[in-house]
Amino acid sequence: MNAHHDGHHDGHHEAPGEFQIATKVSEFEILELAVRELAIEKGLFSAEDHRKFAEWADGIGPHGGSKLVAKAWVDPDFKQRLLADGTKACLEVGIDWLQPTGVGTPSDYTFFYVLENTPKVHNVIVCTLCSCYPRPVLGMSPDWYRTPNYRRRLVRRPREVLSEFGLHLPPDVEVRVHDSNQKSRFMVMPMRPEGTEGWSEEQLAEIVTRDTMIGVALPEANRTSDTKTETLVSGARRR
Amino acid sequence: MSASPTTYDVLLDTLSDIGERTDAGMGCLEHEPAVWESRMQATCEALSSHGVLDNLERRLAEDRLGESVYARFPVQTRSTLVVPHLLLERNVFTEEELRRQMEKVRERFDEE
Repeated sequence: MNAHHDGHHDGHHEAPGEFQIATKVSEFEILELAVRELAIEKGLFSAEDHRKFAEWADGIGPHGGSKLVAKAWVDPDFKQRLLADGTKACLEVGIDWLQPTGVGTPSDYTFFYVLENTPKVHNVIVCTLCSCYPRPVLGMSPDWYRTPNYRRRLVRRPREVLSEFGLHLPPDVEVRVHDSNQKSRFMVMPMRPEGTEGWSEEQLAEIVTRDTMIGVALPEANRTSDTKTETLVSGARRR
Repeated sequence: MSASPTTYDVLLDTLSDIGERTDAGMGCLEHEPAVWESRMQATCEALSSHGVLDNLERRLAEDRLGESVYARFPVQTRSTLVVPHLLLERNVFTEEELRRQMEKVRERFDEE
């Protein structure tokens, strides 16, 4: 089952990506399992506890947030409810911030605020302290969101960082950076783009990608997936 | 100034498997999370919910150790390294126990 575990691959030349993916799974998969099993053996938590959190994590993703935004675009009353009480409005699309424990996860039961973009205001989210992220609606955070690089620089030079994501905002658009914390989670509600008149909620949800709800991209009628953050490589500075 | 953080060979040895990659290479930072990453997050939640290792405390340690001991590791590995690092520091289990458990898991994987 695991020819990748030895990491040698019979000496032929693999594509670099292929090789890295195959080898990186092995030792870290082993380490993760070993730590989990030791923790269970030592009575730190039960296998059932772990299963509950794992299943919850498997079910979340940006599709939750996409559904919220698409519904808000076609239903002005829902939009108002979403802006007024994000946590409560989430229940209308089947997202319960109290899951999976009845009181949320240790880090996720918080106040959830949806930030509406307008022609003059663009919102973007970050967590400078750690990496707080609205997981019930967006799933696991992307790796770059967790890096000190993004977290430090976004609050200092937001336009510069946004431009590295390919988002160049006109000078008359105010950029608001929202710093998440232990109790407050944010998500951006982007503006509905032109060319989507008459679209169904399902069609609209497809163009509301993760990055548009973080605020590092804008939805477009012909864009259904986030681009890689390659541009951040050349512009990245460690401090 | 605080003393240099402790290092554990059992954790540092995993670098040979994944290869050096720092935050500066952010182009590598867009990938589909592997199953072990997601399962590790479940471990983090379970530890935090039982008061063993608070999530915020862990995240701060990920920053601190991620920029020192594990600076050469890709960012997606940090929880998987820092959780056992902290549990080793607290003597929840020993380095030898972890190494032995990893060997058991490895043997299971290799069993056809």
